[in-house]
Amino acid sequence: MSAADLADLFAGGLAIGCVYSLVALGFAMIIRATGIIHFAQGELLMLGSMGALSALWLLPKMPAVLVLACGMIASGLLAVAMEFLVYRPLRLRRVPLMNVITATVGMSILCINAARIIWGSEPLRYPELFSSSAYGFFGVRVSPQLVWIMVFGVVLMGLMQLFLKYTRTGLVMQAVAQDPEVAQLMGANLSRMMVYTFAIAGMMAGAAGVMFGSLFFSFFEMGFVIGIKGFVAATLGGLGSLGGAMLGGILFGLIETFSAVYVSSAYKDGIGMVLLIAILLLLPSGLVGLWRRRS
Amino acid sequence: MSAAAPALAAPLSRAHKVATTLILAALVALPLSGPHQFILHMLSLVAISSIVALGLQLLLGFSGQLSIGQAAFYGIGAYASGLFATKLGMPFPAAFVLAGLVAALTSLLMVPITRLTGAYLAVATLGFSILVYLLIKNEEWLTGGSFGLMGIPRPSLFGFVLTKPGHAYLLCVAVAAIVYFALLRLEHSRFGRAINAIRQNEDAARASGLPVTLLKSQCFVIAAFVAGLGGSLYAHQVRYLAPTDFTFWKSVEILIMVVIGGMGSLFGAVLGAAVVVLLPELLREVGDYRMLVFGAILMAVMLFGESGIAGFLSQCLKFFSKR
Repeated sequence: MSAADLADLFAGGLAIGCVYSLVALGFAMIIRATGIIHFAQGELLMLGSMGALSALWLLPKMPAVLVLACGMIASGLLAVAMEFLVYRPLRLRRVPLMNVITATVGMSILCINAARIIWGSEPLRYPELFSSSAYGFFGVRVSPQLVWIMVFGVVLMGLMQLFLKYTRTGLVMQAVAQDPEVAQLMGANLSRMMVYTFAIAGMMAGAAGVMFGSLFFSFFEMGFVIGIKGFVAATLGGLGSLGGAMLGGILFGLIETFSAVYVSSAYKDGIGMVLLIAILLLLPSGLVGLWRRRS
Repeated sequence: MSAAAPALAAPLSRAHKVATTLILAALVALPLSGPHQFILHMLSLVAISSIVALGLQLLLGFSGQLSIGQAAFYGIGAYASGLFATKLGMPFPAAFVLAGLVAALTSLLMVPITRLTGAYLAVATLGFSILVYLLIKNEEWLTGGSFGLMGIPRPSLFGFVLTKPGHAYLLCVAVAAIVYFALLRLEHSRFGRAINAIRQNEDAARASGLPVTLLKSQCFVIAAFVAGLGGSLYAHQVRYLAPTDFTFWKSVEILIMVVIGGMGSLFGAVLGAAVVVLLPELLREVGDYRMLVFGAILMAVMLFGESGIAGFLSQCLKFFSKR
């Protein structure tokens, strides 16, 4: 295998890794704030992808950034709706966490079947969002799609980190995630922060949906598998740590891409799982645990 | 897991015994009324699903371990039984027991992960379930891959082949009843009280001298054994196995059965299995919208709280007996 092929593979892995990172970030944010394993996260991705595609059908000349924004807005609004209509009533009734988690499975079933009825069960192709001529970096040619996905992914994740670190709302969200009771005593509005958490997690998923859709295609069952992989990536990094989720996602994307080529394409998902189980056994708090133990 | 006592967990009262006997008698007498073959088939599937759900109830409801990988052991049991019967020509009872044992042995591989808790345990079992699915799908020389495993014989007992759907149904009900009563005994045994203590407070249980890790792994292995038995029955009931029967969705379905029926209640697990298997069939009238409705109902039932449908029913009973 030549260096160019290797670079191409690496870029592909990084791009799909960015998609997983965005999904994993959503998982990690929700788990940190509420303890819920949000099984409908993948469906948010799918609906964002579908929503952006529908917007693109209406206005075919939209630039890529706007398409991305459409997907993010669609998924963000849906996530907020889920929180308002289902998860909050459940929390207010103080049902156990296991019930809320099962309700997210119900939500996921609902979304998948609604999408099948609205958009049909055929895979839908995205029109070309980016220019088709390859970019050259130091003599290595990389497809523009991959480059833009990485750029968008990194920018979004960076913006989110800035938001969490340097804005008042972001800091309150972090405080709520760490210790809801104390944060509430300090005057944080818990339920509003939950809404923000779901909104941001939804937007991340929506962005991931548009990226994945433009890489492959979008169809009603796509969210399920990507959702699982995002969850695995979040765990790989250490559940509840945002940096870990990003790292886990990119790592998972690279592992998957390379093992599909070098080991076996039939077992490419399996290798990630074996790695996951091994990491959980050896480092129960994920990759971030390793780093924290040192420091 | 909350510390609330599970519904219906009190030692069996007289009313309970009467109710259990009546339900069992009704289930056994059902084939005599000559129902349609399809109904018997669906009820057999309910019995098979109950078996797997009962196993998960032990794991999740009693010991508090969240596994979303029970379909792996269910699939291993089904394929083991199918392969023993088709490739080695083994008689049904031997294949049945061996299927359970193979599933239990495989679960020993996963025993180290029982020291994980909560979402970590969930994702590890999920990973295992995906691995098993990939193995079933890709190892064509053994499992037939995506084409599936065909020609599994009907179950036979003592040289008597159960060709009538009524007989196969009775077999499934009998196994489900045996598993139910065995787990009921287990629930009220020393072992059952120990794992209940672990579920409520693991640290306190450990401080009281309970071998927490050992007990938790035992639950894991028992649940896998039971799921393997269910898988074997499924293989001989449907007589054709495909990898798509044992995807991650199946694991989620089994989990839904336990939570919808009521955590910590064995009767709830059976009820939940009945709802999850039969509801989509009953909703066939709404056509394309049936899974949509199913998802909505699932979310609505979660409002009942931890004790699920079983708890709701027992509250109704209390309400009416007061009048």
